[in-house]
Amino acid sequence: MSGTVHQLSEHGLIPAAAGIGLRFAHHEFVVQARPDVAWIEVHAENYFGGGAARQVLERVRRDYPLSLHGVGLSLGSAEGLDGEHLRRLAGLVRGMEPGLVSEHLSWSVVGGEYLADLLPLPMTEEALDVVCRHVEQTQAALQRRILIENPSTYLQFRHSTIPEWEFLAAVAQRTGCGVLCDVNNIFVSASNHGWDAQRYLQALPAAAVEEIHLAGHALRVLDNGSTVRIDNHGGCVAAEVWALYVQALRRFGSKPTLIEWDTDIPAFEVLLDEAAQAATLMRAVAAEGHACAA
Amino acid sequence: MPALLELQQALRRQLLGDASSPGDAPRHADAPQSGDAPSLGDALLAGEDSALRLAIYRNTCLSALVNALRLSFPAVQRLVGADFFEAAAREFVRSSPPASAYLNDYGAGFPGFLSQFPPAAGLAYLGDVAQLEWAVNRALHAADAQRLDLTRLASLDEPALSRVSFTAHPALNLLRLESPADAIWRAVLDQNDAAMAAIDPAGGPVHLLIERGAAGVQVRRLGAAAWDFTARLCTGTPLYAVLADGPHDDADAWLAEHLSAGRLVQFHAPAPPCGETRL
Repeated sequence: MSGTVHQLSEHGLIPAAAGIGLRFAHHEFVVQARPDVAWIEVHAENYFGGGAARQVLERVRRDYPLSLHGVGLSLGSAEGLDGEHLRRLAGLVRGMEPGLVSEHLSWSVVGGEYLADLLPLPMTEEALDVVCRHVEQTQAALQRRILIENPSTYLQFRHSTIPEWEFLAAVAQRTGCGVLCDVNNIFVSASNHGWDAQRYLQALPAAAVEEIHLAGHALRVLDNGSTVRIDNHGGCVAAEVWALYVQALRRFGSKPTLIEWDTDIPAFEVLLDEAAQAATLMRAVAAEGHACAA
Repeated sequence: MPALLELQQALRRQLLGDASSPGDAPRHADAPQSGDAPSLGDALLAGEDSALRLAIYRNTCLSALVNALRLSFPAVQRLVGADFFEAAAREFVRSSPPASAYLNDYGAGFPGFLSQFPPAAGLAYLGDVAQLEWAVNRALHAADAQRLDLTRLASLDEPALSRVSFTAHPALNLLRLESPADAIWRAVLDQNDAAMAAIDPAGGPVHLLIERGAAGVQVRRLGAAAWDFTARLCTGTPLYAVLADGPHDDADAWLAEHLSAGRLVQFHAPAPPCGETRL
């Protein structure tokens, strides 16, 4: 362990380039072949234990800039954060010194039970207070700033009073956290709820956006004939999402951009192709000359 | 307008059924004061689609948790078949959702659930195989630990050595099972029908040591005496007590093997006058 500390500092920051979300299916390939990827992100919870998974992560950390993406902290739980979960996350962050740490604007835990999904929050003042309190608690425990990702949702609550983009901006403003702008999630939620995706993008605080996520989604026809977009991370990035990504780059400037793929995981080359597409668009928008991070 | 906690409790009932009774019907008696638990349907916006959209979350929640069990219990699934496993796992998930978002920790209660699951009563060894798979899963994901520093152990004086006790590696598990679950587990995962046919299901009990080595998780059979010795040593019984209670000609060799294999990662030698000293 002590031998890794020196090398860690060489790969501190996540570059404004295209990275790939690493899943178990590609552990061996990435360790053996060391593919040319600008940076790598993993789900923090997959590395809370020791053994082979932890060894792979330490190896990845030596070879690539690393970002930790939490999926289980449940920042929106009314009953408070799971202290043990936060302690484990803090231990992993201490050990890995990642370039970025992120979590979600959602909840997963109630009554001490984990419901294994990123569930939607009512957009209320009470929920805003709860999320801000937990973001502050997390940043204090990790002794660093975190990024909060906008969710993909299928339901809205009747008593919500704050548009989601304003809610996210308020969390960033009140806690000093950054924003992880998931462009696919904006597209999915906007489609599902009839929002204006452009307006969502324009409303986010550009100076707080430090990372972008891209992923595939599915279009499902419900039993009553209506359609809903499902954020399944199970395919290539949709054409409409690439177009929205270009809008995001124009608004936020070049940002670390991650390709996520979680179901029906393809060969690593497919992920590299998606990352190359993101990199091409990032270069093209930067060349337009009106990338503006203000 | 429901408070956030009430809304989250209501959504939990919609996803996994009522926490206190089987079935999906909301139970108003659970509401903390008025008995008027918020009806989630009234709080939703999406109109006629809301029930169908809610089902998306229900499916994701259930399938993610069933999948977590599937990953931890592959031999159980092969023994009972995918459909049976899915049904059993769904029932377990509804009655015992995870207490933490660290899903590698989820499933400790599944072996006991299977042992009591009436449709599985015909497979007497199923619970044993599940217990073994859970121990393998724990060995796979347990925290790393530094090896014991033998030079520090050697530096103890005789009175301290006589009181020394040990902490086992977090990945080490010891199981005593009534059926030859290790042989069944191996044959099932290897899809070796000939080996499976040769197993006498009544050929137990077996005494197993499960640990994590450089090549992955290993399951070994120990003799009953060696297993007893190891189990007592690994649960913190002082060495002198282990040796005094079950004197055995091979005890020196067992201890040497455990030390050289890195199964013991810490020792404690309490000083008599002032309590335990952790070294």
